[in-house]
Amino acid sequence: MSSRSLSPGRIAIPVLGLFWLAVTTLPFIFVVFTSLKTQQETYANPVWALPESLNFSNYLEVLQGLFFTYLKNSVIVISISVAIILITSSMAAYALARLKFRLAGPLFALIVAGMIVPLHITLVPVYLMTRDMGLYDTPFALIGPYVATSLPISVFILTEFMRQVPKELEEAALLDGCGPFKIFWKIFFPLSRPGLATVAIYNGIMLWNEFIFAYVLTSSPQNRTLPLAIWDFQGQYSANIPAILAVVTLTSLPLIIVYAIGQERIVNGMMAGSLKG
Amino acid sequence: MKTMAARLGALLCGAAVAAALPLGAHAEDKVITEWDLQTTPGAVAVIRDAEDRFEKDHPGFKVEDSHILNDAYKAKLKIAFGAGEPPCVFSSWGGGPLREYVNADQVVDLTPYLDQHPEFKDRFATASFGAATTDGKIYALPAENTAVAAIFYNKDIFKRLNLTPPKTWDELMATVKTLNDNNIAPFALANKNKWPGSMFFVYLVDRIGGPEAFAKAVDPAADGSFTDEPFIEAGKRIQELVKADAFARGYNGLDYDIGGSRRLLYSGRAAMELMGSWELATIRNENPDFVDKLGVFAFPAVEGGKGDPNNLVGTLGDNFISISKACPYKDEAFDLLMKLTDDTAAAGRLADKRVMPLKNLKVEDPFLKTIVKMVGEAPSVQLWYDQELAPALGEAHKDTTQALFGLSMTPEEAAAKMEEVAKSAH
Amino acid sequence: MTVATHRAEPVRRRRARALSSALAPAVFLAPAVVLLLVYLLYPLVDSFRLSLLAWNGLGETARYVGLENWVRLAHDQVFWLSAGNNILLALFSVLIQLPIAIVLAVVLDEASHGSRLLKILYFLPLLMSSVAVGVLFKNVYDPNFGPVNSILEAFGLYDWTQDWLGDPHLALASVIAVVCWQNIPFYMVLFLAGLASFPRELNEAARLDGASEITIFWRLKLPHLKGTFRTAVLLAVIGSLRYFDLIYIMTGGGPDNASELMATYMYRTVFSSFQLGYGSTIASAMFIVVTLIAAVSFRISRRFETEI
Repeated sequence: MSSRSLSPGRIAIPVLGLFWLAVTTLPFIFVVFTSLKTQQETYANPVWALPESLNFSNYLEVLQGLFFTYLKNSVIVISISVAIILITSSMAAYALARLKFRLAGPLFALIVAGMIVPLHITLVPVYLMTRDMGLYDTPFALIGPYVATSLPISVFILTEFMRQVPKELEEAALLDGCGPFKIFWKIFFPLSRPGLATVAIYNGIMLWNEFIFAYVLTSSPQNRTLPLAIWDFQGQYSANIPAILAVVTLTSLPLIIVYAIGQERIVNGMMAGSLKG
Repeated sequence: MKTMAARLGALLCGAAVAAALPLGAHAEDKVITEWDLQTTPGAVAVIRDAEDRFEKDHPGFKVEDSHILNDAYKAKLKIAFGAGEPPCVFSSWGGGPLREYVNADQVVDLTPYLDQHPEFKDRFATASFGAATTDGKIYALPAENTAVAAIFYNKDIFKRLNLTPPKTWDELMATVKTLNDNNIAPFALANKNKWPGSMFFVYLVDRIGGPEAFAKAVDPAADGSFTDEPFIEAGKRIQELVKADAFARGYNGLDYDIGGSRRLLYSGRAAMELMGSWELATIRNENPDFVDKLGVFAFPAVEGGKGDPNNLVGTLGDNFISISKACPYKDEAFDLLMKLTDDTAAAGRLADKRVMPLKNLKVEDPFLKTIVKMVGEAPSVQLWYDQELAPALGEAHKDTTQALFGLSMTPEEAAAKMEEVAKSAH
Repeated sequence: MTVATHRAEPVRRRRARALSSALAPAVFLAPAVVLLLVYLLYPLVDSFRLSLLAWNGLGETARYVGLENWVRLAHDQVFWLSAGNNILLALFSVLIQLPIAIVLAVVLDEASHGSRLLKILYFLPLLMSSVAVGVLFKNVYDPNFGPVNSILEAFGLYDWTQDWLGDPHLALASVIAVVCWQNIPFYMVLFLAGLASFPRELNEAARLDGASEITIFWRLKLPHLKGTFRTAVLLAVIGSLRYFDLIYIMTGGGPDNASELMATYMYRTVFSSFQLGYGSTIASAMFIVVTLIAAVSFRISRRFETEI
């Protein structure tokens, strides 16, 4: 290592790395610092001044509110949605990648084309259906739209993935007398684990932060998910910037903690099945 | 197999029907849904208390309320009516949007109910029904607050610079100059939301052309239009203010909902804000220390204008509550409306610093007294345009006013655009 | 499984296979297809139907007006302005996000020390919800109290301070910068994935031949990433054309429609102006625009791929 001379690349890489580090982290530092200040400090002192004292009262107040209810709703909605996404999209992907039938090509194109449907078109009809199903203003109202809007990209990723599973495995299973259901369940589903991880992580993150359906399909704080916590708290605090930023910090924290713990697996998971398209 | 499945199905269905029956017959099942856009604890408590009293008087009824923040509320109410599943009792701002629901035959005419309870009806300030009336019929009750726009100012800054509240446009322009010379932004304005800037426009039209100017422009039968002189002149005056640097930097991008304008007041970087009178309650919650420095004065007169300088812009009622036609228990719902606006509720709101538009309300708070006095002396109270106008026109008004503030439209262009939208609506 | 049952398999198996070859695809696809029909296709078709009505969405007041809404759309400057803004957003997303993401991916791939920590920190923006990012950057951009202008002032650069979200010339650019900030980590991971399959030996061999890092990047790594690049372009373009969140939260499409997008304009038309019919027309037109541009960029990215 040390024997290699300093090429421009050797210098540029750390410089670039540090520069981008500043770009991503400075806003976070701003949020956390400001959330610990008092209101008066935010008017009187420059933004980059350190908080005069650590003022955790904003955090306490938020945590004593409905914060954990929002969190619980998010966890329930996202885990059920992701489970359904995994099962339905992997089944569809298997059929599209491996079962030979005439419509496979067009159907694949059609499903993937679902990616271009502007979600806001669906708001009113989806709202009507949700009412009819009696799910309005329950966390479960979100599952249907969440699964459906995640399907196109999930089917896309998994179909590409399953196409790469070696033919020999499938042929051996066929000779062994396995039907398509068994082949799917015993071979393709387990072998697609990296792809499934990608789908789960990608959709998990996107849905965790989703807000337009959550905004329209639920109304009472008891039934809302975490991204709306900020929206709801805003009505209470408005110009109390430290309090709002404390909410921002707290609502972002769960995903950041999960990510920090499972970082290696999450990045690798996202990479493993990543679209080789 | 088949018969067994059928029998099983029948059995299940039977069970379901049987299970549903006692529930259906059970008194607990009579639910009245109530939607409003009050999210502060004080306001919600008043509403819940009225609902509790209602439930006590009507055994077997239950009120399910939801309190939803502003923008989400508008979207949700609209979707709910579109879906044919509206709440029984709902809030609005009266004016154009309410009329939209009325014209679609969605709202219960309250006139017959009110005629049965004259002593209840007569408590309300007569003018307060204006925003709730279509073709002589009353569709809503004014419920929450009396809110009028006035100019809030920092008394310390005015004292330090020897300024007094301006009474006329010219004095206002002089005040703007003095403040700018001392490096203080004259007005704080958070106009990302568009309605705060609209207040300037509405006041100017009223001061220049009187309330008739607007009344004639919106009435298709009258000979007025949005291209009439008062509207163009109002646009010119707004741009005169903009060019005199009357607004703190970033005004068209600041977000009122995150306190974009109030922060400027608190920090002393701006001296004035034209805002609805609810601003005082907000400031009291948010930054109680600042209240001592806060003063208020009326929007100045415009020299040579037709409008009475005592005229106000605002709302008598703030929120108006109505009953939807889809409600199965209309009579009970009206009783709920009465509970929500009775003297107990009014006293609760007063304790929360909000004044219902009632004739004989005893107000102690000196600031609220000023507001009540101003309203009492006002020959006319013009409802905010964005609430008075039909929704599409209200949006056009907000868009063109924001463009006027941004100097990206001339007053003539803005007026022409308004008239175009108004014409296409008829 | 015992030997006996294993022997009995063939007959049943053949029958099962005959049946399954016809049925299996249907069974496997049914759940996904049903969900897509209900939640995507039906609303899409319905919006085309609604686009032929003049309707405020309330009660029985809908009136069939034929193509009147579509004629109005053709002359609606705000719609074309917002479509143009969507295209700008797409263009900048591709031109800013993808190159930065590629460079970051290569940097992370090279940096052996501390790359774990960097991967965590670089990923942070993607973990925040748009509402949180929007509130955060509204404060960052605040012309009077925000850090951007404060820092510029501290360096004496008063002329550089701006009204970031209130100036119609800047509002869209300011929000696009935040959109990039939020999405770059996603593409970075995508490219990291692509680089993971880059053969190490090739890297070493090229180094031994005296190739510089930059040559290796241009000649070897970039071509290796072409497939990933195509996917990324498509995702960025489609995502930009139906974008809504940060614009709605940060500027509401203003000032003076300067940052209006098709989706925010549609949302406003339906929910603030009470024009469900015309709003559906905007939505339908949006679908057409997205489909056309997605098709074109698919073509272009394919050609680009063969050129690399």
